[in-house]
Amino acid sequence: MKKLKYFLAAFLGLSFSFASAQTPKGSVLIKNATVLTVTNGTLENSDVLVEDGIIKKIGQDISAPSGVETVDATGKFLMPGIIDAHSHVALDVVNEATAPIVAEVRMRDMVNPYEIGLYRALAGGVTISHAMHGSANVVGGQNVTLKHRYGSSNPADIIMQDAPRTIKFALGENPTRVHGRGKGVQPRTRMGVEAILRNGFSEALQYKKAWEDYNSASSQKGSTAEAPEYDERLQTLVDILDGKIIIHCHSYRADEIYMLINVARDFGISKLVFQHTNEGFKVAPEIAEYTMGASVFADWWAYKFEVYYSTAYNAAILTKNGAITSINSDSAELIRHLYHEAAKTQRYGGMTDEEALSMITMNPARQLGISDIVGSIEEGKQADLVIFEGHPLSVYAIPQQTYVDGVKYFDIEEDKDDQRLKVSPTDMVEPIFLSEEDHRCLQGVELNFSDISETLFNTNY
Amino acid sequence: MKKTLLKACVLGLMVTGWISTGSLFAQSDPSGKKRVTSTYAIINATVITAPGKAGTKATVLIKDGVIAGVGSNLSLPMEAQVVPGDSLFIYPGFIAGASEAGITRPDDPERPKDFNPTDPADVFAGVTPWRSALDQYSAESSQVEDFRKAGFTIAQILPDGGMLAGKAAIVLLGSEYSTNVLKTNSALAANFSGARGVYPGTAVGVMAKFRDVYQNTKLTKQRADQFQTVSGSTRPEQTSTYSAMMDVINSEVPVMFEASNDLEVRRAISLQKELGFKLILTGLDDYSAVIDVLKEANVPVLISLEVPDDKAIKAQKEDAKESVKEEYARVKEAYEGALKQASLLEEAGIAFGFSVVNTKAGDVKKTLASLIENGLSEEAALAALTTNPASILGINRIAGSIEKGKLANLVITTDSLFSEDSQVKHVVVDGYVYDYETKAKKKKNSSDGDKVEVAGNWDYTSESPAGKSGGVLEISQDGSDFTGSITYDDPSGNGTAKSDIKNVTVDGSNLSFDFDVAAGGMSLTVTVSGEVDGSSFEGNMNVGQFGTFPFSATLNPTLIANK
Amino acid sequence: MKRITKAFFAFLMAFLPFMAMAQIDGEFVKPRTGKFLLQNATVVTITKGTLENASVLLENGKIIQVGTNVSADGAEVIDCSGLFIYPGMIDGGTRLGLVEVSSVAETNDYAEVGNITPNMQALTAVNPNSQEIPVTRVSGVTTVMTVPSGGLFPGTAALINLLGYTPDQMYGGFKAVVMNFPSSARRGRWDRRSDDDIKKDNEKALKEANDVWEKAKTFAKLKENGAELEYYPEIEQMAKVTSGELPLMIEVNAAGDIQNAIKWVEGKEGKFIFSGVAEGWRVADEIAEAGIPVIAGPVQELPTRESDRYDAAYANPGKLAKAGVKVAIRTNEEENVRNLPFHAAFAAAYGMGKEEAWKAVTINPAEIFGVSDMYGSIEEGKVANLIVATGDPFETKSDIIHVFISGYRIPMSNRHIRLYQEFLDRSPGLEEHK
Repeated sequence: MKKLKYFLAAFLGLSFSFASAQTPKGSVLIKNATVLTVTNGTLENSDVLVEDGIIKKIGQDISAPSGVETVDATGKFLMPGIIDAHSHVALDVVNEATAPIVAEVRMRDMVNPYEIGLYRALAGGVTISHAMHGSANVVGGQNVTLKHRYGSSNPADIIMQDAPRTIKFALGENPTRVHGRGKGVQPRTRMGVEAILRNGFSEALQYKKAWEDYNSASSQKGSTAEAPEYDERLQTLVDILDGKIIIHCHSYRADEIYMLINVARDFGISKLVFQHTNEGFKVAPEIAEYTMGASVFADWWAYKFEVYYSTAYNAAILTKNGAITSINSDSAELIRHLYHEAAKTQRYGGMTDEEALSMITMNPARQLGISDIVGSIEEGKQADLVIFEGHPLSVYAIPQQTYVDGVKYFDIEEDKDDQRLKVSPTDMVEPIFLSEEDHRCLQGVELNFSDISETLFNTNY
Repeated sequence: MKKTLLKACVLGLMVTGWISTGSLFAQSDPSGKKRVTSTYAIINATVITAPGKAGTKATVLIKDGVIAGVGSNLSLPMEAQVVPGDSLFIYPGFIAGASEAGITRPDDPERPKDFNPTDPADVFAGVTPWRSALDQYSAESSQVEDFRKAGFTIAQILPDGGMLAGKAAIVLLGSEYSTNVLKTNSALAANFSGARGVYPGTAVGVMAKFRDVYQNTKLTKQRADQFQTVSGSTRPEQTSTYSAMMDVINSEVPVMFEASNDLEVRRAISLQKELGFKLILTGLDDYSAVIDVLKEANVPVLISLEVPDDKAIKAQKEDAKESVKEEYARVKEAYEGALKQASLLEEAGIAFGFSVVNTKAGDVKKTLASLIENGLSEEAALAALTTNPASILGINRIAGSIEKGKLANLVITTDSLFSEDSQVKHVVVDGYVYDYETKAKKKKNSSDGDKVEVAGNWDYTSESPAGKSGGVLEISQDGSDFTGSITYDDPSGNGTAKSDIKNVTVDGSNLSFDFDVAAGGMSLTVTVSGEVDGSSFEGNMNVGQFGTFPFSATLNPTLIANK
Repeated sequence: MKRITKAFFAFLMAFLPFMAMAQIDGEFVKPRTGKFLLQNATVVTITKGTLENASVLLENGKIIQVGTNVSADGAEVIDCSGLFIYPGMIDGGTRLGLVEVSSVAETNDYAEVGNITPNMQALTAVNPNSQEIPVTRVSGVTTVMTVPSGGLFPGTAALINLLGYTPDQMYGGFKAVVMNFPSSARRGRWDRRSDDDIKKDNEKALKEANDVWEKAKTFAKLKENGAELEYYPEIEQMAKVTSGELPLMIEVNAAGDIQNAIKWVEGKEGKFIFSGVAEGWRVADEIAEAGIPVIAGPVQELPTRESDRYDAAYANPGKLAKAGVKVAIRTNEEENVRNLPFHAAFAAAYGMGKEEAWKAVTINPAEIFGVSDMYGSIEEGKVANLIVATGDPFETKSDIIHVFISGYRIPMSNRHIRLYQEFLDRSPGLEEHK
């Protein structure tokens, strides 16, 4: 029996293989900055002391312990490292698009630490990104939260090991197009999407019961109970039902958002974040009441039909209705200026500085389940920090230095231009990417119908 | 071309290949092919018995496929056929740790009418652990002959297929009178390729599916054990997948994971750590970042016997802008780093072998020379060809070195193995002696003065399993650049097709060029290379995975006169 | 959840007064023309400096007077104390009006079938009632080039003002034939062509372009001689380019392609504009020397090569301008042309400076398009395209509170704003789940 339990534990324990990685931690004293703490207001002319990757002290006239470097940030702004709740950076595979539920696949298996996008994100002040499975399936794979410790060849070094598990769901056009229209299997409609979800969770409950029954029976002497089939797909859904995984659901229309809220309530699921959520504003009271909020674009709309009735005031409406709201990128370009994307909420809805900054720091941290360790400048938190020239919500702001765990990974003054970690020995002329691959939600999905495939490649988020 | 060639190959096998019934008793042989004796003595050669051993003058006596003795004063039995070995060098026969030579991918089964791509049967998902490489293998393939000629005597053959392609086998590259099988189930061949459009479609799905198959095999075993021991237990359902996986979960057979780059290496190792199977990594191309990881995981490694091409390096221009030069420098650094990797493995004390999957047999010598030039010791290179793969494949008791009692597998060369002019004169496999023609030492070109004339129209003939064919090769010269075209029998049907020739290089008397042949919707690159002697050209034509075939041509004199 | 405080509405009224107009049930606000005096603002003319406490008088669609001492003279006075007046921004390259929903093929009208289709007129396909137009103009973008794309010569682009019910009412007085310059660059990771094949494809495309050019010259010459030629609309349109009647707007991005395009243009008669020029910074001096103006952008974009400095695209317009190239900025967008000020601001921050960046979205495109007598600055006699803002219109914190296009005061509303008004404090609100 003990052995069996261990056996099951091995099934369930999904993250131990990478757990032993030791990542670099730094110490630094940043002096005389305007500190935008996000949670405790703005501190003028203040110092932040970091030791061994942790914010030790915030105040004035702090002197550096011996051996700790001092950075003069007079006239500059210091803010928490920016967190992107929706990206596909540093993933070798984004979509396992072959079945309506692929809960068993893990993006952490596909992390590629060489991707230049990590450095470019650092240059935009982004220290953490939520690298997500694509949106081809109703239940996609498990995502991975990355800390941008660029420079290592080991994927484990850029995985944020202390972040909880999250999983991708997707509603609406993408899963119905890929499955119903592309493969001739359910779902082809938003009705089918709901059915896939309810079927999946109901089967998961049966699965859970089968194992529970087996485990209690097999502890009896001479038990003839037969071990059920193992199914990591259903086991992952069980973990969602047990509250071990946060759902991040690609969604656009109000009706489908409302549908998932109902399904989640029926199955007792409360860890639910909506992604994109362009029509979230229409059901903002429901999102605020029943979920962990929405992660939205600042102003994207009209690139597909389900986002035609959008508004750039979405984030403001959601916030004013009390929903946790973050601004994300889902794009290799947008991730470079999330501070600017957040600032757009000031034009579209008059958000305050703190509200706007929260949307790229504390709020995404809450939605990723990491707000106790990152997301604001507070003593005891991990020292992910960005120094800006100019207020980060100014359109003219330029990130100067980016720190992860107190280690500097970007410095506008010192860094060389070519930041590739790996170069192909056979590249004659480097490929040129003209607005290519910055949106990867449906990357790698084979689309077997030609009439609309061309436009699909243009707009696949 | 592909289909035609394939058909021709199969036909060729049926006509020429007669496999001995294994009779112990001598018979008449009206074909006249049978050998007279199975005992040979290669006398007075320089013998290198194992990597690191100094060459000593000795005689190697082999009898009935086994090494009967090695030494300077062996008494030779009467039936020994003597092979004079003065001036020759004898090495242990090479062992390819992984190979696809002679393997033909089986046709995909037809999909049922109600096929569901989201939940396909294992066979459509690339999960076919019950398949055997032996069922896909033909010893008569010209690729097998090519590798034998390059010195390989034993190969672990991998089945072609999806993520769990099937059972690898170890074979001798030996005579047509034997099945040549050493081990029928030496490893489970695995890779990260998805099943295009069908679950699992990508590497991330493959990893998940692998876990699922592995865990359910364990549960199946548990149920089977319970069925044997606890009365009243339900009969467990055995599937061909779980049955075939059983010896993998019991750690009796290793999983041979193809992992071409460092990230794939890490992925395979993480699966291994998570699930606990025996692992061999194969096909490593780009691994300098994981040498310490390999060392720590203590996993056997087969690296690709290939080096990156130097086209990009050669194309770098002297007069480039500073910024471009910086980019050049990084490519050059990457290129040199790639060549140096094998020597880093040696430095780290990792005893690696080679995979020849995707390797052209004709390039083996050049590749080895390049690895040695970039820091790999000759001893380690020889070990990677002999003792290391023997250990990795678990056949070191019978192969890998020249010792009394081991299999009579030898490579006999005209000079020390890694010297520039050395050529393979004989290869002995399983006691059978294969003779190869060697050429007199090339004269070194003293100046550009004796560059050969290649421009003009050549009539050529080539021989392939599909039969003899030929056409016109036209080459024109503009300064030091050559262009031209070649005609050939259209593979898609009747008539003649024509392609431009590319990458024409003339180096001393050596002429080589490529051309693309379109066949069945795909494009195949054919490489021709050989020696020009006056108005005749003798060389080989390499057709990718189909093998290498003779190619000869004569310069048409009338056209030259017209010039 | 329903705690939308009165204070918030008060804030709304104070800072976004334009919304009040559309908040009355049933009222639809139309664009309105007349005589307007924008009084007592900081006027950033672009070409004639910045005037403090100045006023601008508009009538009959034109700017009548600009200065510190302008009398109302019967005009409707709009108090602009503490506010800033700028010329309306011009986007040098968009697909605005040609696409409604890009993933819905039925709403895409920018790419026609065929490789040589210069006779395709973007102006005809512009949908004046596109939802994207009001969304764009409230950001201060009043005029855009709308550009077809696709083949080698995909069509004729047109300059449009973002007001009007027919394309003719919108037309801004400038057209150009578009060319996609044949590229010798690899297009991306997925482009697996061999170097030889890339070279061949490029040579073939260039030959085709040259053939078309020569035919057009022949056509023009024969026409000039009075010949009656067979109907050949493609070449007839190209002949307008070879004869200099219409400029050629050449889309070209990779550095090598830009160099080739400079050579291609050399010795050809006609007017040429480069667009895109993503790698312009690599060959800025050569573009400057050739004297070819550029429409650069998008600015908020990734570098073209992995080895490039991360800010290559942000810094590109600045580097071009410094080298002496006349630069306009484009978004190359459709639904988010409204981000033009932000693209310009990024260019400003990364080396171009605010003043040059402003020119790049006002007077420079006007000059490049040959319409600087009508657009691009606040000067007497020019078309009344201007914006009134609470601060620097590039800044996200600033609000644009009035926009005038062709002298019309446009309603500061659109679908985004109407949805905001309806849903900010939804009624009914949260109901108990049943």
